[in-house]
Amino acid sequence: MIQKKICMLGSFSVGKTSLVRRFVATIFDEHYHTTIGVKIDKKIVKTDGGEVTLVLWDIHGEDVYQKMRMTYLRGMSGYLLVADGTRRQTLDDALALNERVVQEFGKLPSLLLLNKFDLTDQWEIDSSQMSKLAAAGWNAINTSAKTGDGVEGAYLRLAQAAQGK
Amino acid sequence: MAEQAQRRAPMALAQEKSTDNNHAYEELRHLIVAPETEGLAAVEERLDNLEKRTCDVSEVVAEAIEMRRATGDQALSDALAPTIQETLRESVRRDPHVLADALFPVMGPAIRKSITETLRGMLESFNEALDNSFSARGLKWRVEAMRTGKPFAEIVMMHSLLYRVEQVFLIHRETGLVLNHLVAPTVAAQAQDPDLVAGMLSAIQQFVRDSFKSKDSESLASLNIGDLQVWVEESPNAILAAVVRGHAPADFRQAMNEVLEDIQRYFSSALANFKGDAGPFRAADERLSKLLEIRYKEAPEEKKKPRALLIAAGIAAALLLGWVLYVSYASWQWSRFLADLHKQPGIVVVSTATHGRSLHVEGFRDPLAADPKALVSQAGLDPEKADLQLAPYYSLDDAMVTKRAEKILHPPSTVRLSTKGGELVAEGSAPQQWITNLEERTPLIAGVTGLDESHLVNSNLQQLFTLKSSLESVILLFPLGRAELEPDQDQKIAEIETRLRELQSQADTFHQSVNVALVGHSDTTGIEGTNLVLSQQRAEQIRRLLLRNGIRRETLRPTGVGTTQPLRNEDSEEGRQLNRSVTFKVSFAPAGSAAANAAAAAASTSTNAPPATPPGN
Repeated sequence: MIQKKICMLGSFSVGKTSLVRRFVATIFDEHYHTTIGVKIDKKIVKTDGGEVTLVLWDIHGEDVYQKMRMTYLRGMSGYLLVADGTRRQTLDDALALNERVVQEFGKLPSLLLLNKFDLTDQWEIDSSQMSKLAAAGWNAINTSAKTGDGVEGAYLRLAQAAQGK
Repeated sequence: MAEQAQRRAPMALAQEKSTDNNHAYEELRHLIVAPETEGLAAVEERLDNLEKRTCDVSEVVAEAIEMRRATGDQALSDALAPTIQETLRESVRRDPHVLADALFPVMGPAIRKSITETLRGMLESFNEALDNSFSARGLKWRVEAMRTGKPFAEIVMMHSLLYRVEQVFLIHRETGLVLNHLVAPTVAAQAQDPDLVAGMLSAIQQFVRDSFKSKDSESLASLNIGDLQVWVEESPNAILAAVVRGHAPADFRQAMNEVLEDIQRYFSSALANFKGDAGPFRAADERLSKLLEIRYKEAPEEKKKPRALLIAAGIAAALLLGWVLYVSYASWQWSRFLADLHKQPGIVVVSTATHGRSLHVEGFRDPLAADPKALVSQAGLDPEKADLQLAPYYSLDDAMVTKRAEKILHPPSTVRLSTKGGELVAEGSAPQQWITNLEERTPLIAGVTGLDESHLVNSNLQQLFTLKSSLESVILLFPLGRAELEPDQDQKIAEIETRLRELQSQADTFHQSVNVALVGHSDTTGIEGTNLVLSQQRAEQIRRLLLRNGIRRETLRPTGVGTTQPLRNEDSEEGRQLNRSVTFKVSFAPAGSAAANAAAAAASTSTNAPPATPPGN
């Protein structure tokens, strides 16, 4: 079976861990995050090219206390860039982070997830913002770890992208 | 240089001399260089000719392979392996029977060996478990098994294990993805998802490297978690991690290194171009499985020895104790027997000696004393083990003297003999004849110093007195005023006569003569003088009756006492009747003595006395 290393990137508390917790097999406690800054999970996805094992490196969000370790990204086949749709700032941070990643690792298959889509009343990303993102080549997906909306689809799309399809 | 010189020389000569000379030089040149030219041509041909070159290589290929193999280099095997594998695969594809036939002689033994090995392994672990089940340590482990809920075998394993390589991970260095993962069958159930573990492991590697700013070539070599360790080795493209329980020796790391180097070399392109397909790395199974080692603690010899020694010592001590107990019990039995023997009358023990289980006794024994062999048996001892040297002698012990006296005197059952300080005491009753015998023979019995027969009754004499008193109790009754017996008294006469005869015969035994006074009585009715006469007549009458039956005359002495010796007072008719009677008075006198004669004389006088008295009552 094909395996792919996929990283989950994004600011602190945008819901990366929630995107993992409900949808993937995991054996590690979340406190790994705060200790070594990463938590590994696994998600098996059925693509057109057969089953793919996504080994998800859920990397601790950057904050004032902890810088993200870029070395954790080595060897990844793609990444999910996660932002909190209810906090505009997290999207900017995510895009800034993306630049650093591209600079270091080149262009890799990736998806931008605008999470917490269940909180529509607090949604801060408007359509103009969305079209700007599309223009920049971003394939942004609204997800909700709470309802599950868009999550499975995101994993599948990334798996297919990582396989080069 | 020489060649140039050779070429220059003929050219100069050609200018100066004729063509004849030219020809001569050509000939000379041919003579000199021809062999080399031919040699060169041959070499060239050889190199150009594929067939010849193959022939040349074929001559040395075996030696070359042999030489390379001798260097111990793995590269040759690695190079040949794919070809051989491919060849085999192709051979099987074409005709499986060829390989099957070739392998047939090998398969059987290989399978047998494998089964034997498996069984041996099972047996070893079973023995180990059994060994540990019955010790204090085993008990402790059982408690631990109950407490932790793990199977007992697992606990035993954990404690008796030196080390066990439980899992081996081959990880792609850059991505942290698992290329291959082997897990020991015994821990398969506990193994976590290798994808996650491998990822986390490489994350930790990177974390450590980042955190401590170490160089990229340096990495975490091992992680320790309790008795679990993760040993990590890295190559340019791969990470080899082994999960080890217990303490593996340092050379295990060497083995890991060799395997990793081998994999790096063999899979170098697959590693470099890894795109997430771990398929090609299945081929590393065999290499990795070499690392799944298991080593048990050697059974501690020095610990076992003392235990074996202790058991042996225990057995020896028990045997010794048993032997000591047995010997002391045997010796106690002998001493108890000897104490009994000492108390035995008629046996004198002079010396004793015990030799192991047998006893030697020297002394004396009266022939009438108890049988010593029987005493040995009674004491629960083996008579065969007792050597009794007892010389015969006469014991002066009272008990023995009594026994001897009994043997000689044969006392009747009514007599009991005993001895006190040498004096023989006879008690009970015995006939005159035995008493005579006793008196005669007693002084002749060894050990008897005197005879006490004060408690011995002469049974004949006793009988004599019984007869006497029975005769004296008879009262013959007469009617009022008459000297003839009452009619019913006739029967009594016969009885009296019988007793008299018996009395006489008994008295003869003692050489005594019997005197019987026939005393006539009367009641007080009538005149006193008449009564006296009447009483005399009554006595005479009885004598007559007895004489008629053959009783000796001198034995009977009739007298009349009248009313002077009444048997009863005469208040009643019954009393008066009893006083009208004749009674008997028996006395003895030595036969032939004066008393006897006098008695006889008196008897004859009274007989002769006339019944001159008038009739009374």
